[in-house]
Amino acid sequence: MNMTVAQSAAVSSARPMQPAGAQREMPNAQETAHEKISVRNLRFYYGDTLALKGISLPLYERKVTAFIGPSGCGKSTLLRILNRMYDLYPGQRADGEVLLDGENILSPKQDKNLLRSRVGMVFQKPTPFPMTIYDNIAFGVRLYEKLSKAEMDERVESSLRRAALWNEVKDKLGASGQSLSGGQQQRLCIARTVAIKPEVILLDEPCSALDPISTAKIEELIDELKAEYTIAIVTHNMQQAARCSEYTAFMYLGELVEFDETSRIFTTPSDQRTQDYITGRFG
Amino acid sequence: MADTSFPGPLAGAAHAAPARTAVLNRFRLGNLLFLNLTRAAAVLVLVLLGGVMVALIEGAAPALREFGFGFVTSQSWNPVTEKFGALAPIYGTIVTSLIAMLIAVPVGLGIAIFLTELCPMPLRRPIGIAIELLAGIPSIIYGIWGLFVFAPFLQTTVQPFLISLFGPIPLLNAVFAGPPYGIGMLTAGLILAIMVLPFITSIARDVFSTVPPVLKEAAYGIGCTRWEVVKNVVLPFTRVGVIGGVMLGLGRALGETMAVTFVIGNAHKISASILAPGTTISATIANEFTEAVGDIYTSSLIALGLLLFVITFIVLAIARYMLLRLEMKGGK
Repeated sequence: MNMTVAQSAAVSSARPMQPAGAQREMPNAQETAHEKISVRNLRFYYGDTLALKGISLPLYERKVTAFIGPSGCGKSTLLRILNRMYDLYPGQRADGEVLLDGENILSPKQDKNLLRSRVGMVFQKPTPFPMTIYDNIAFGVRLYEKLSKAEMDERVESSLRRAALWNEVKDKLGASGQSLSGGQQQRLCIARTVAIKPEVILLDEPCSALDPISTAKIEELIDELKAEYTIAIVTHNMQQAARCSEYTAFMYLGELVEFDETSRIFTTPSDQRTQDYITGRFG
Repeated sequence: MADTSFPGPLAGAAHAAPARTAVLNRFRLGNLLFLNLTRAAAVLVLVLLGGVMVALIEGAAPALREFGFGFVTSQSWNPVTEKFGALAPIYGTIVTSLIAMLIAVPVGLGIAIFLTELCPMPLRRPIGIAIELLAGIPSIIYGIWGLFVFAPFLQTTVQPFLISLFGPIPLLNAVFAGPPYGIGMLTAGLILAIMVLPFITSIARDVFSTVPPVLKEAAYGIGCTRWEVVKNVVLPFTRVGVIGGVMLGLGRALGETMAVTFVIGNAHKISASILAPGTTISATIANEFTEAVGDIYTSSLIALGLLLFVITFIVLAIARYMLLRLEMKGGK
């Protein structure tokens, strides 16, 4: 992490973050990486308002895809479609196709609970449940798996370790999740998401409420998590997008302006609007 | 805001100091007045509470001196021999309130959950308003409705069914024993349940709607069903408010007089069967105050009132204690 734009551009074809042992990548990643999620001609309506105007893009497996763009451009909306969170609210609907491993998750037959266990989400504001730290993690796991006490302890510990939180909370697992600091709460939420072993993790501005140190920890975490998960991150922080992601989508006014490898978006964008946005001329 | 501040600097510039001082003095006076008015209002509550307490204790003193602790353990209530014991009304009060809460809490929370989590938008307002209207019905109307409509209905249909259903089951057949009178503790409990339902529902609905949407989304986001979200997020998050609502309902049920007096049967005896007539503290007081002759009789009725006061106080104390325990457990 902590790569500058230039550095990340320099190493983009080599991609050293992938751990050894994971499948080796060809230099031309775009052709070989598996499309975990394919968004095809997606439109989204809040009542009568068209919020997404026909978006198509892939999310590659075990890659981080960043969504950037000014507020109100539809980034978070897009994320909330990927686990059908919008379904909770009447009057919101999507058409088009979103394929998760080839299956259209927008179909009415899609089981939403199953989908949400496969596609985890971390929100902008930390959302620890009103229960102990231990239960915050165990709760989601219990919904889908029957584990013995020892196995559950093990799962809680490993999830907290993955979220780089274990050392800070191991002596107070019985304390309320809401007693932690903001950064810790957010890592608890990530641990909770990881604990149920999803395939995709959606991060909706996960660092916007956090201080720089917590932000750095979470970015580090994202870097580790992508070895196993497909990650989509919405961010307003351009450096963050450049540091953390392999692919970047720039959205503007409900449209996908440009989608490409992060290195290319931040060095040689093909659209003038992208160029203006990343250089801070608007947005 | 903007238009009042606009002339400020202009007016102030001309004769700044004296004008400001006058205004500031006025402010200070206003502040002082406001402080004292609100403080007086708060003190008034304490004075009233103390006054009621003193009057009750004073009025109840003759009876308590006469019967001692036996007043709360004896169930004989005999105006002729002037032997009074409060056990039957205490028992009736607690049993009817218990029946009421057993029914009203789950139903009320169910309605509140439905209204906040599941109900389609266009239906929310009508149902919500209907619930609030239920709270607006005067208790005398519940009383006459209970006596002339509800009790006969229970007598002819529900009670015979209960008696035959639980007849063969030991223990339960004692609870549902006896001839179906129609009026009795069960009927009173059911009427009370209807009366406290709107309190529990509207408070629960209000506190449920304070749960941050993003917290619920997070729970849905790990694959929870609606029930799991309600059970694990909404209820724990709002437990303090919900318990408050339940206690408010319980307080109402304990003290409700009119409707209960109509349908409970006003019998000074303790029966295991909830179908049997009984009495409550407030029903006894309301029924017998006019015919109470003799100091001991009157004083015994006031002592009943004191007991109701104490019971309500104990219920509130238990509620506080429960909340304290919950808070320590949740570590919130």
